[in-house]
Amino acid sequence: MQQLLELVRQAQESGDYQPLVDLIPYARVLGVQCECYGEEIIFRLPANPGNIGNPTIPAIHGGVIASFMELTALFQLTLQLSQPGLAKIIDFSLDYMRAGLDRDTFAICDVSRQGRRVGNCSVLAWQERKSKPIAQARAHFLLDAGTLMPVQR
Amino acid sequence: MTQEEYAGRCTRFLNAQPHMMKLGIRLIQAEKGRAVLVLPVQPQLISPVLDTYLHGGVLTTLVDAASSVSTLCALDRFELCPTLDLRIDHMRTPAQSQPLYVSAECYRVTRSVLFTRASVYQDDPERPVAYAIATFMRPEGGSIESEFRRLIEGGDNATIA
Repeated sequence: MQQLLELVRQAQESGDYQPLVDLIPYARVLGVQCECYGEEIIFRLPANPGNIGNPTIPAIHGGVIASFMELTALFQLTLQLSQPGLAKIIDFSLDYMRAGLDRDTFAICDVSRQGRRVGNCSVLAWQERKSKPIAQARAHFLLDAGTLMPVQR
Repeated sequence: MTQEEYAGRCTRFLNAQPHMMKLGIRLIQAEKGRAVLVLPVQPQLISPVLDTYLHGGVLTTLVDAASSVSTLCALDRFELCPTLDLRIDHMRTPAQSQPLYVSAECYRVTRSVLFTRASVYQDDPERPVAYAIATFMRPEGGSIESEFRRLIEGGDNATIA
């Protein structure tokens, strides 16, 4: 817990959230990056041959887009929590709107409500233009201090 | 189609997708309307820092893959059906030390839409880690890229990417 606390504190001071993102193995596998513009955090999934689902288009695997958006929500919530810990996903619901082509993908998360126990998130993912999203998602996370995933050391 | 034919089609479909190869997601069983996939335990998904299993999203990828594969077992010919909607409920935290299995069923086929449901489990299918439902759009007029179809349907000129 101490390490996560320290990482969140450092991230908020320096504006560099990458060490936090790299804590999650699958985020590293996908190559998720995190860029901070003032109060807005935009997550970026750089084009990566390993993330391709359909090689003939080629298009990013649908699961990769979904997971990227889920991770976006997880990080956004984690950064907002007063008591650092990783929120626990309850459910995730995704609408695919356009094919994700083999290029950089961006996502942003809006925490529409952060209660004592549950956080409500909506996530938008796009490539060329934010006004032409490739997917939108809704997710609920458990924020109970007792259920937050602790960190060793 | 026989179980072997379904299994061949599903395996070629998985092997044609770079991200499935990267995660080592493979088919365990295929039959009419149903498929079982596994995500093996692997170092690249285990965190040395976080002590709880944090696949953080990889379960979502696994479910999306399995739901998609189950549609291959419900259609006479291969059709590339994009996902329209996917919903996952997480019931318990999976254990880090065990593979994740997912059993997916395509339970309804209409002219335009396919409906699937899936459950994710580890040691006991009766104690699921997560449930998921999804919908897929069938291509209009059954038209799909023929190159990809040939790849998945196998045959003489089939090569695995």
